Amino acid sequence: MSSLTPSTQNTPASVREQLSLVEARQQLEGQTGRRFWRSLDELSRKESFGDLLQQEFPRFSAEWDPMHRRTFLRLMGASLALGGLTACTRQPREKIIPYVKQPENMIPGKAQFYATTATICGYGFGLLATSHMGRPTKVDGNELHPASLGGTDAALLASILTMYDPDRSQSPRRKGGATAATWETFDAELQAQLEQQTAAKGAGLRILSGPVSSPTFLALMKEVTTRFPSAVWHTYEPVSRSGWYEATVAAFGQKLDPVYNLADADVIVSFDADFLSLGPAHVRMARDFGSRRSVEAGSMNRLYVAESQMSTTGAAADHRLALTPDAIESVARAVAHALGVAVTGSHDTPHAAWAEALAADLKAHAGRSVVLAGEHRSPALQALALAINAQLGNLGKTVTLIKPITATGASLADLAQAIDAGSVQALLMFDVNPAYDAPADLALAERLAKVPFTIQHGLFDDETGALSTWHVPASHYLEYWGDARAFDGTTSLVQPLIEPLYKTRSELELLAAVAGRPGTSGYDLVRATWLDTLGGDLAFKRALHDGLLADTTEAAVSVSLAWKDAGPGETPTTPDQLDLAILPDYAVADGRLANNGWMQEMPRPITTLTWDNALLISEETGGRLGLATGDLVELDSGNGKVTAPVLVAVGIPVGAGVVHMGYGRTAAGRVGNGVGFAVSPLQTAASPHRASVRVRKTGDGFEFALTQESHTIAGRNHLRVGTVSDFKADKKFVMKFGEFGGKETPSIFPPHDYSQGPQWGMVIDLSACIGCNACMIACQAENNIPVVGKDQVRRGREMHWIRVDRYYEGRAADAAVHHQPMTCVQCENAPCEAVCPVAATVHSTDGINQMVYNRCVGTRYCSNNCPYKVRRFNFYKFADHETPSLKLQRNPNVTVRARGVMEKCTFCIQRISEARIKARREDRAIADGEVVTACQQACPTRAIVFGDIRDPMSEVSKRKESPLNYGVLAVLNTRPRLTYHARIRNPNTSLETSSPMESSHHGA
Amino acid sequence: MAPNSPPDQKQGFVEIEPVLDTHHTMETVTDKISAIPLSNTLPRSILGVGFAALLLLGSLMGAIFFLVVEGTGIWGINQPVGWGFDIINFVWWIGIGHAGTLISAILLLLRQEWRTSINRFAETMTIFAVMCAGLYPLLHTGRPWLAYWLFPYPNVMEMWPQFRSPLVWDVFAVSTYATVSLLFWLTGLVPDFATLRDRAKGKIAKVGYGIAAMGWRGSARHWQRYEIAYLLLAGLSTPLVVSVHSIVGLDFAVSVIPGWHVTIFPPYFVAGAIFSGFAMVLTLAIPVRAIFGLKDMITLNHLDNISKVMLATGLMVFYGYGMEVFFAWYSANEYEGFMKFNRMFGPYWWSYWALILCNGIIPQILWFKKVRTSPIILFFLSIIINIGMWLERFVIIVTSLHRDFLPSSWGMYAPTKFDIAMYLGTIGLFLFLMVLAIKFLPIISQFEVRELLHKKQHKNGH
Repeated sequence: MSSLTPSTQNTPASVREQLSLVEARQQLEGQTGRRFWRSLDELSRKESFGDLLQQEFPRFSAEWDPMHRRTFLRLMGASLALGGLTACTRQPREKIIPYVKQPENMIPGKAQFYATTATICGYGFGLLATSHMGRPTKVDGNELHPASLGGTDAALLASILTMYDPDRSQSPRRKGGATAATWETFDAELQAQLEQQTAAKGAGLRILSGPVSSPTFLALMKEVTTRFPSAVWHTYEPVSRSGWYEATVAAFGQKLDPVYNLADADVIVSFDADFLSLGPAHVRMARDFGSRRSVEAGSMNRLYVAESQMSTTGAAADHRLALTPDAIESVARAVAHALGVAVTGSHDTPHAAWAEALAADLKAHAGRSVVLAGEHRSPALQALALAINAQLGNLGKTVTLIKPITATGASLADLAQAIDAGSVQALLMFDVNPAYDAPADLALAERLAKVPFTIQHGLFDDETGALSTWHVPASHYLEYWGDARAFDGTTSLVQPLIEPLYKTRSELELLAAVAGRPGTSGYDLVRATWLDTLGGDLAFKRALHDGLLADTTEAAVSVSLAWKDAGPGETPTTPDQLDLAILPDYAVADGRLANNGWMQEMPRPITTLTWDNALLISEETGGRLGLATGDLVELDSGNGKVTAPVLVAVGIPVGAGVVHMGYGRTAAGRVGNGVGFAVSPLQTAASPHRASVRVRKTGDGFEFALTQESHTIAGRNHLRVGTVSDFKADKKFVMKFGEFGGKETPSIFPPHDYSQGPQWGMVIDLSACIGCNACMIACQAENNIPVVGKDQVRRGREMHWIRVDRYYEGRAADAAVHHQPMTCVQCENAPCEAVCPVAATVHSTDGINQMVYNRCVGTRYCSNNCPYKVRRFNFYKFADHETPSLKLQRNPNVTVRARGVMEKCTFCIQRISEARIKARREDRAIADGEVVTACQQACPTRAIVFGDIRDPMSEVSKRKESPLNYGVLAVLNTRPRLTYHARIRNPNTSLETSSPMESSHHGA
Repeated sequence: MAPNSPPDQKQGFVEIEPVLDTHHTMETVTDKISAIPLSNTLPRSILGVGFAALLLLGSLMGAIFFLVVEGTGIWGINQPVGWGFDIINFVWWIGIGHAGTLISAILLLLRQEWRTSINRFAETMTIFAVMCAGLYPLLHTGRPWLAYWLFPYPNVMEMWPQFRSPLVWDVFAVSTYATVSLLFWLTGLVPDFATLRDRAKGKIAKVGYGIAAMGWRGSARHWQRYEIAYLLLAGLSTPLVVSVHSIVGLDFAVSVIPGWHVTIFPPYFVAGAIFSGFAMVLTLAIPVRAIFGLKDMITLNHLDNISKVMLATGLMVFYGYGMEVFFAWYSANEYEGFMKFNRMFGPYWWSYWALILCNGIIPQILWFKKVRTSPIILFFLSIIINIGMWLERFVIIVTSLHRDFLPSSWGMYAPTKFDIAMYLGTIGLFLFLMVLAIKFLPIISQFEVRELLHKKQHKNGH
């Protein structure tokens, strides 16, 4: 230690070089990996560093002394600026002391589970967090929670990585860095500011946040407005839903939230609504949608989609049209007209046959259908969708309307106006990043600079933080107490899983300080809200345990339609311009997850693009504009310009383009900085999700990192698709594609004995899979799968154990998209095992093809010989063994793999072992459903079923008996344990007569 | 005259023997051959090659250094192409080695006298080629420091290699091959080392060659034991000529990947190996015979014979290519058919057609005697064949893997600078060792040539 300790005694502090935290950060900025730590090390040797430490951590400065190394280490663990100094020091003699009182059930390797709540756009989503020795390692959906029912999505699964992100902000920072920035000085300055505001009743005080459903937050906000009656609360969400409320006001005269019951809907129509992937209820909607996609279980639903992008919802559709928003609206109006909704003006559309068939289908399923319009589309289109629902009698049946769950304040545009008027003196921003994501015409970055006192409270010291007087670090939802309400009103509590890793505060704690109660803990605030309402401590504990408060769903509001058609709301773009859809990204959303490596590396559904956004255009548009994949273009909306690389994709309407939000971050962190391009210059407050742009080729090129570059099935039969009528005509139609299982061929090797014990197997239902990638991220969290970076993805070295293969069928313009999750199929006759020279991949008695990492020397022959190409090789030391905070996320029951070894799906062997040990101790067999793999657990549509195939009563055995069951490449006699159910589509026979798959295949 | 020489005969040849020029006597043979290692200088051209080879050797060292420090990620391999330059070059080098063994062993047993003046050369080449080849399977593993786990040795883990894997067979095949080839080569060198020992002037050379000669005095007992040992080793080597490359062929044939799972691979690989091995003998021997004036010992007749072997093996290989196409069609297997189609017209089409050109079409000029006796044409042809045989391995490995069963996993392969540095580096190692061999070893077997001379002089027996 002594060698690293700066000798503060020798030079007086005044003559020494002054080092501020800002400078320290600057020195570290842009440094990654080893270089980052080396820079840290160099920094720490500076004499001025000791001064800085004194300034930053006055309480701990005494610990900057070799004698108190343990305390020092704790400090280091809490401080990014101090990480990485532990190497090469001699360990002083120390005694370790065991727990006097051992915490109950704290067993190494044994997980504990706690319910908590995350928020999507302000709405609650119930989670069940896994904790190992006090470290949360994974989050999953809470089965009791209506938004989840057990499933999750990729973003929620990846949110745990954000908590451990080493780039998270760890201490307050004041602009300029002149004043020592601590919570104490912040509190003092905040209270002084608030004192000033008291006189004017808070006329200069503004609060900006996202929409909020938290009852405690709203109660505190009430306190704030009591203290400062003239203060104004603004809310802002980059993924705008304002059109929705305008639509409900137009249709029903009040703001309402929708609750869709897709489980009861036979016909679902989406007008540009990506309801399977977006919105507070998308996981639940995917679940309900998936529950009606089984041809064997009963009547299948039918999904019609007309959309301006290629969404996962569109890929799931039975009938899909790729149209620009104005054309979508004309289809909607034609449908409305056919159903007898009073629409004015023209209701012509080039897709009249489609609209007619759809209208007839809707009519036949009145009261059992749902029509959705994208919440980013015009209020007129959304109101029209509500009117159609009302006309069909769906209201109260499949579409319930309730009072808004989230409270919203004044708009961001109002804030911009107020700043210009000079009436904003103090602005407090919670978890928003307007300097990055606000539409360009609001020029928030410039306007923020005009506000004398701004506070940005967030997980990261981001673009907005850089412009604010104060940045104060926020706690992650796994670190704080809070509450939230789900899409249907169900209230649940946010329960922390861990003490805040750094000196951070939650929104509630900060808001309490504004309300005049500084220092009140989040726990007290939440308890105060709920203890009396719930009627005591026991009920509070119950609510924490279950993850929700019983019977808190919002009652339906009975409404009557008061809608008058005001004509179309979407205007066509002039033909010389590109009709650009600006949408939240499937991975990084609005940029919130930009610094999350899991999400950056997750192949975006359908395009399989990683580590970038792109201008997506169809092949025909590309041909018209002379553009091909990899061309760099400049997009000019008149208000702003961006440079974007072109990616030619399927399913995008001709004359239209799609770009995604959340990229081009400059202060996201080491992962997210400089990835992709920002789209906010093209956005306007009036039209944040659509723009007309001119496209100009710059002549430069760009290389994407795509995980799948082949688009079609190449006439092969490993993806089998049919229609309901195919199935009805011949239940075994799947076998027309080829038999399941090659003939037993003689082998010189003795066969494995699969007659004893459980034999694990899996079935994935391709009809239910929506290609959302939740399984992939769940697997990544569960199995300590590393992130490899853009360059390595480009080289084809991504490490995901489960991937979602995507195949296009048909013409590029209106190709059907099929997903096929692919992971190790656990062949009973595994080609990989025979060729491994050191027996590093072997078969277990329960039928799992196992990887023995320790034994692997890395010849890669197993991977070459794997027909499914599901093995993943550590070409480099991909696992991060250095970053301390990331180590905390790891699942202790799964080996972190070294360089040079092969790895692959294990069917979550650690979960199987846990169940086996438990069952053995209780002297019983493992029950069906006791072992749930990570992918299965996460799947929102329950497409994955896992279990013992020797048990004829198990769910998986029953599924394997289905005529839809087939094995991929079973013709090789690999005898895969993972089999698939063919995808069954349910097209409207009046629109489609034969299955395209069938006609192209001839039963080969 | 050294005491170990057979009785001196100063008679000239009565008839023209094309495998050895007529004017030679026992003494001139020894003088001429031993002059190269015993002189203090080397021709400039050879020095130049040696220097260039040294530079390439440096690139090999650098490539290996980075490989061990960083991992196999520095290469162009990926998912799905798990093997690239590493295994291509391994197979290529192993194949090159084959000519040596074939010439030494099989031609010896078949009493092909023309082998005598090129066998040392070919054997030396074999040893060095196997050394280059051996680097690859060792270094291509993810954790080369554990590669010894492929050997069966008693250990506390109680683990044996997995004997079903052809990679284990490979370990046995290649290590046996290397060992036997080395023994064969060293045994053959002993009498010649003794000659050099006796003729050396310098102290170091005397001691060095003396140790290498292992006390050879040329007694009748020595000669008798030597002949038996040599014959036995030749007998041992003979099956190895066939087995090594058969097993390398099985490395691929045992798999399930279309383009690898081919039953004709073992014989087709052996033919290819001999084809490329003889080409490499020509590539090296033609310049050497020109530079050192050995045209009277490595005669046009040698070149003619080598060319005939190349023509024969080349036709076998060409037949193999044809059969692959036939199988793809006749099996009616869609994956097999696609593989063949993809090889011919996929993204790597150029490699397939270049292969057909280099290995199938151009070597047909060997039907002409004029070509077979033209060193210049043969030199360039041999280089074309070497390129062709490299391409064959590229086509087999890369174009089979890059598009196999599931289109979702298809990908592309491109070597990186480290792949190229390592390949050039092994060429450097090979050439450097060859230069050293030329400098320090009798590159033509002296006593065997003398023996041949003796036989010629006593043609009708006595």
